Order: sequence, then structure tokens, then C-alpha cells
Amino acid sequence: MLFTACAPVEDDIFTTACITVTAEGNESITSVQAQVKLTNVNTRQVTTVADFNGTSVTVELLRGAYQIDIEGVATCQSPGNSIRMRQFRCQSDYEEFISRDINEVTLKTIFLD
Amino acid sequence: MKRHYLLILILVAIQVAAVASNADTALVEHTSLGRIPMLEAVRNPALHGMVYQAPYSQLALGIDLQHQTQAFVPEKGSGFTLPYLKVNTFHPLNGRSTVWGEASYMTGKVHDIKWNSTSDYDLLQPYILADTLGGDIRRERYSISGGYATSINKWQLGAEMHVRAEQEYRSRDPRMRGIVTDLTLSLGGGYDLERYRIGAAVEGNIYKQTNSVAFYREEGVIPEYQMTGLGTEYSRFSGDKRSLYYDGGGVAVMLHASPINQSGPYADVTLDEHRYHRKLAEFNSMPLTDLYNEHVGATIGWKLEKIHRLAVFGHADYTRRTGNEHVGGTSDARYFPVIACLTMYKSHILDTYAGALYGRANWNVNITAGYRAVSEEYVYPHRQMDASHVYGKLRGQCFIRPADKWLLTVDVHASYYAKASDKLNMPLANMDAAFTRLIQHKHKFAIANYTDFGAKARADYALNQSRYGLFAEAGGGMTLCSASEHQTALHCSIGITF
Repeated sequence: MLFTACAPVEDDIFTTACITVTAEGNESITSVQAQVKLTNVNTRQVTTVADFNGTSVTVELLRGAYQIDIEGVATCQSPGNSIRMRQFRCQSDYEEFISRDINEVTLKTIFLD
Repeated sequence: MKRHYLLILILVAIQVAAVASNADTALVEHTSLGRIPMLEAVRNPALHGMVYQAPYSQLALGIDLQHQTQAFVPEKGSGFTLPYLKVNTFHPLNGRSTVWGEASYMTGKVHDIKWNSTSDYDLLQPYILADTLGGDIRRERYSISGGYATSINKWQLGAEMHVRAEQEYRSRDPRMRGIVTDLTLSLGGGYDLERYRIGAAVEGNIYKQTNSVAFYREEGVIPEYQMTGLGTEYSRFSGDKRSLYYDGGGVAVMLHASPINQSGPYADVTLDEHRYHRKLAEFNSMPLTDLYNEHVGATIGWKLEKIHRLAVFGHADYTRRTGNEHVGGTSDARYFPVIACLTMYKSHILDTYAGALYGRANWNVNITAGYRAVSEEYVYPHRQMDASHVYGKLRGQCFIRPADKWLLTVDVHASYYAKASDKLNMPLANMDAAFTRLIQHKHKFAIANYTDFGAKARADYALNQSRYGLFAEAGGGMTLCSASEHQTALHCSIGITF
């Protein structure tokens, strides 16, 4: 009984989150320059990342639940192929990054102009 | 003439030793340092009944006092004043069976506790409720235990139960309250195999504590932190979440082998595992943390008991404490699902020593040298605090019979702990100032050198033509810490033996 009762150790505490920014409507986003602020809901620990690759950013995090705030500039392409820079922000109150594989989240932008 | 004096002196010395050796009373048997080789074995109730021969009972009224110039461990306070009343008995019923028991009541005050609003800190740390203010607390403890052992041919069987009920509370803000129920049951067996007695016992424990903090003055409310180790806290459920409980228990297995004729090699092995779950009472018993305490201890020794008593032994203790944090999901009507469980706290304690005991009927000397290492780690953001010490301990005890009805027992001890190594790794730049001060305080005392010495004297007086006796005991000690602080301790008790 004693030997089957050893402490369950979960050392796999980190995960990878891939956050993608998309636009609503006819415009599409081709690239993003923005700061992503991820706040761990339980520990209140804040992780900041800004190195977008196109419209996505990848970050290694402690597995858990996060609040996400993104604020920056996006390059938007309209159906008529016109390109313009637009200020935007995205926000999510609760996202779970629990899976040991990549956790993918897509957030819709709110344009500020 | 000088030769005559010398002869008289030698004769007196022999006489005192002879009288003292005749004082092979129950008291000597039950309090002698010579019991050291059997200290682990008596946890097996079957062997407990066989260890002592004489009946012995005692009723004591006493007080324990301790004062530290600055708390060595803030969570445990800077001292205490704890009066108690205790009765214990050991009574062989016939040639085969023995009963024993103990009941005690203790009430008093523990001074200046900080960063801890939970009872049983040693058991539950680091998963405690804490605040920065603290203060004195009242402690009240009821304890009762009893056991029975019998022998059938070559077999020994025994059972023992121990119950502890305790409450700690503070009658000014922050009004912490911890109510503890702790039940331990042991079953043991032994067998005489040729010239050896081998024993095995299993122990089960159930532990519960309800813990809360209240504030009566609204303007004086401060946050209560759900501590998670090395100055970290579970932020989401800290602050105004002040009602929780602990649910726990565990099992232990003890193995023992020693020579029946009192001479030869002996060995003990103890394995135990205890777990304590911290749950939030006000959120549908949401589990916050799980603490797993795993311990293995082993002793190998050799003893000889004839006219003189000799034992040499080596002992190693390893304790691993593992802390898992439950990750709470999004709430639904005050219900928080657990979406993950992460091992965030790890602690390793190694204590190993070698020792020797030498004694005669009326005195014993015990010397020990050892190494103790404590390592604590919080995985992310990474924090680590390690400290190790080498130490030496010396204990002496003698029984003197100054007059026919008197027996005087004197104990002295001294020890020295010298720091061997230390390591501190903390993200100080990102830490709150109050938590930084706590860690600095704990680190200062974790890496200090300690010198400890003390003495205790007990006088027993046998009443005329009666099995009753009176006793008075007084002892004191001092611990000097290289961090320019010190601790003084005092113990007094009076009572009757029967």
C-alpha cells in the first residue's frame, strides 16, 4: 500500500501557446506588430511577448488559464488589394493553455481608427 | 593516613555506585539514555510492551517556557509559555501482557507568530495561510493514547491508538483559528527467531484541520495569503479567501530486528508517506494544493548490555516533500473546476549521523556526529534555498541516590551546528518587499551556526511504605545563534509517581 501511494509528480509544467490575430469583415491581416500581455489568472504572473511571425506569435508558458491583451499595429489588405496600417487591440478574459502540445488561440481584432 | 583516606574514598565511591546500581527502578528503566538503541523499536506496539519490565506511572504538572530574541522561524513564533498536566502509565498485567497509556492537557500562549495563520506548521508547511501582521496565539491541546501488547509463545502482538485534538486561536485581529483532529492507529507483531527478535508494524493516520481568519475591525483588514513555498502565494485565492480546511493522513511501515539477549547487531527501517490536501471551504471545497511527505529512515547498530552498556550506531533519514498546485479554471456559481495539477514545490531533507553510547547502571554518555542538509525549491519562477550543517552532540546522564528514599537524575547536553554550505537563488527584483524580508529573515537563520547547551535535574522521593512517590524537575537551556540572536528555554514540573 505504501509503495503504490507515492506522490504523483507532474513535472511537465510548461506548454506552448500560439496566438493568431484575425480581422473581421472583408479585410485580411498580413502582418502584425504588437505587444501581447498574458496574465496567468491564478498566479497573476505577467508574460509579455512581441515577436510576431506574420499574424501569429508563439510563447512558452506555465500551463494554466490566461487573460490575453494585445495592442499594436496591423497591416491590412482590402479586397481591392489596397494596403493600410491600422491600430488595433484584442482581448480575451479567459483562455486555457493546458495541453502539453501547442495550444492554439485565434483572437479577433478591434480596430481603433 | 593518606592511604586510609584514599581507601575510604574508594569504598564510598563503590558504595554510591552500588546503591545507584541497585536503583534499577522503573524510573531509570523508562528514562535512561540507554534506551537509545530501542527508541525506534518502541513505535511498534508489539515491541513496546516488551521493552520495559517494571510498571511505572506518573502524574505531572509542568510548564515549558521558551524565548527567542528574534524568532528563528517566524511562522513558529519567538517563544511560548505552555503549562500542562500529563499522566502516563506502563503496566505489565501478567507475565505475557502489558498495557500503557497517556493523557495530557496543555494550554498556553505562543508568542509573536508571523506569516502563519495555520496550526501544525511543521506538518503542513509551506502550504499555510499567512499574513504579515500575526501576533500571539492561544494554544490548547488534548492528547490521549493507549496501547496493549501480548506475547504468545514466540509471537508478540500489539496495538496502539493516539488521538490529538488541538485548537489555536487569536482573540484580536487577525483572529486566526485552527482546529485539529489527529488520529493514529498502529498494529504490530514480533517473532523470536533464534537469538533475534524481529518486528513489523503498520501505522495509519487520519488528519483534519479547519482553519480560518476573521477580522472584526473593517478598517484593519489585511490580505491573507495562500502560501505556496519560498515566499510565493496563490494570488487568485489570496486576499479575502480566509476559510479553508486540510484533509490528510498517511501510512507508515516499521521493521525492526534486535538481539534478544541484549548483545549483538540491530537494525530499524521506517518508511512513511503522508499527504495533506488544502481545500477552500467557501468555494465548494476547491482543492488548492496537495502536499506529499515521504520519509525513509534506517538505523544499523551494535549493542552490548552487560555490566556496562555500549552501543555504536549509524542512522540516515531522508525526507522528500512534494507540493502540487491545482490550477483553477473559470468559475461557475462559486465552483472552480481544476484544469491542471502542477508540481511546483520540492524539498529534500537529509539527516545522517553516527553515534556511540556508553554507560553503566547509574550513568550514560551519548556522543553523536552528523550531517544535515535541507534543500527547498520552487520550480517557476525559479527559487531555491539550500543549507547544510555538520553537527556534534554530547549528552550525559547520571542517577544519584543521595539518601535512602531519594533519587536524583541529572541530564546535561551540548551540541554545535556549523554551516557547511548554502545557496540562495531568488528573483528579488520581482518580489514584493514584505516577501523579500521574510525570505531574508529565513535565510539568515537557515545558514547560521548554532551552539546549544542545557541541563536538567529531577529529584524523586519515595513515600514511606507506599508505592507512591513525589518528584520535582527543573531544566534549562540556551541556544546561541551566530546571527547575533539567542534562545533561552526553561522547563519545570512537579508530580507524583505510582
